[in-house]
Amino acid sequence: MANSKIAISTAAMLAIAAVWAGPASATMSSDIVAEVAVETSAAGVIQSLADQAMSELTDRSLSDDIRRKKFVSLMDQYFAMDVVSRFVLGRYWRSISKEEIEEFSVLLQNYLALNYANQFKEFNGEQFVVGNETKKKKDTFVNSQIVRQDGPPVNIVWRMRMFGDRFKIIDVSIEGLSMGITQRDEFTSVIQQNNDDVGALTEALKAKTGL
Amino acid sequence: MKFRTLLSLCAAGSLSLLTACASTEPAQDMSDFDPIEPVNRVVHGFNGAVDFMVLYPAAMWYRDIAPEPVKTSVKSFVRNINEPLNSFNALLQGDPDQAAASFQRFVMNSTIGLLGFNDVAADFGIPYRREDFGQTLAHYGIGGGPYIVLPLIGPSNLRDTVGIGVDYVANPLTWGAENSDTAEALYLGSIGLSALHARYSTLNQLSELQKSSIDYYAALRSLYRQQRNTMIRNGAPAPVSDVEGESASLDFDVAVEAASE
Repeated sequence: MANSKIAISTAAMLAIAAVWAGPASATMSSDIVAEVAVETSAAGVIQSLADQAMSELTDRSLSDDIRRKKFVSLMDQYFAMDVVSRFVLGRYWRSISKEEIEEFSVLLQNYLALNYANQFKEFNGEQFVVGNETKKKKDTFVNSQIVRQDGPPVNIVWRMRMFGDRFKIIDVSIEGLSMGITQRDEFTSVIQQNNDDVGALTEALKAKTGL
Repeated sequence: MKFRTLLSLCAAGSLSLLTACASTEPAQDMSDFDPIEPVNRVVHGFNGAVDFMVLYPAAMWYRDIAPEPVKTSVKSFVRNINEPLNSFNALLQGDPDQAAASFQRFVMNSTIGLLGFNDVAADFGIPYRREDFGQTLAHYGIGGGPYIVLPLIGPSNLRDTVGIGVDYVANPLTWGAENSDTAEALYLGSIGLSALHARYSTLNQLSELQKSSIDYYAALRSLYRQQRNTMIRNGAPAPVSDVEGESASLDFDVAVEAASE
């Protein structure tokens, strides 16, 4: 009962707001409004990332090398790589210079491309569905699913934050497993095993990526 | 009999130790705690060798030989064997609805599902949910404690190791195995099938991880912790406090600030 009352009053408010805004918004073309709405919402950013990834990475005729390059450029566009790089280094980012962090960032992108870009080659009839978004403190979490024909859907949550006027990705969780946290735990372990020397991790990443 | 008594005593002892640090919120472990890492790494290496010689080839063979319907049946059977424990632990966690659901699944699948080989309950809209005693302890706020790599079993922690012990003692099938050869055969068979199914279902992910990771041991340790956290939350999204907590020491916020300097 209480719920329906609230719903009605919300609807009434919206109607009033629409009437008020009516004359002003009528002058704007409706498709411009739609476009702005898509670009500023976190879910919209994920949708456009998905669209771009589908069209650029799933082509089977691409060589692995080219696919990786495209993957890296998508990360440049959509991920806050400077934040991610520092996060996965844990407390050790403080012990290296800004230039070293930038070098590490490039290695990290290529390392991730090496591990994930090929997943798109095997894309076959799966559907990517962007769901709702929830805001928790400073970050917005966008839910999404990969719907498969032969098994339960895979839940992917994108952790995003506003930088300037744009949402950028700072973490991705697949079925509750965060890539940022997994990578941080692994990388800091490697650094620890080598007497707190970040250089050992960079060397290992160079060996993996061939850079 | 002696072994069971000893195990119960061990479980009870560790339990009283663990409950000392209990709180009311479900426990979520936010960082790796691995004080016996050198020992764990040795056991991890040993497990890897056993896996390479036994479990991995068996799982590969199973993948290539067994037709899809057989794999589905094995999965259903392995899950069904666990249902009494799922129900028991859901009840202990104060979730009678889930306990009833697991029990209902067990009854349906064991009868019209032909000894659990068919998951008919899922077709009736009762999904499977795994609940073990480790999760029950976590539900009452008991953290994982030190990370432990168990021989043959693999990644665990003190809490979940105690959980395995309690589940073993509480499992009706292990009571039956004491007195009946059939029950014992069923129990041992179910362990074998569980291991085979578990290894088969993680073949791709583990090979990928092994290939891509720089420190496979550390990656597994992190993934185990996160996976348990998710199971303890029953798949729900992490609460706001933990989102902040997860990044408390090695902070996203700090990283953002540093990056903008």
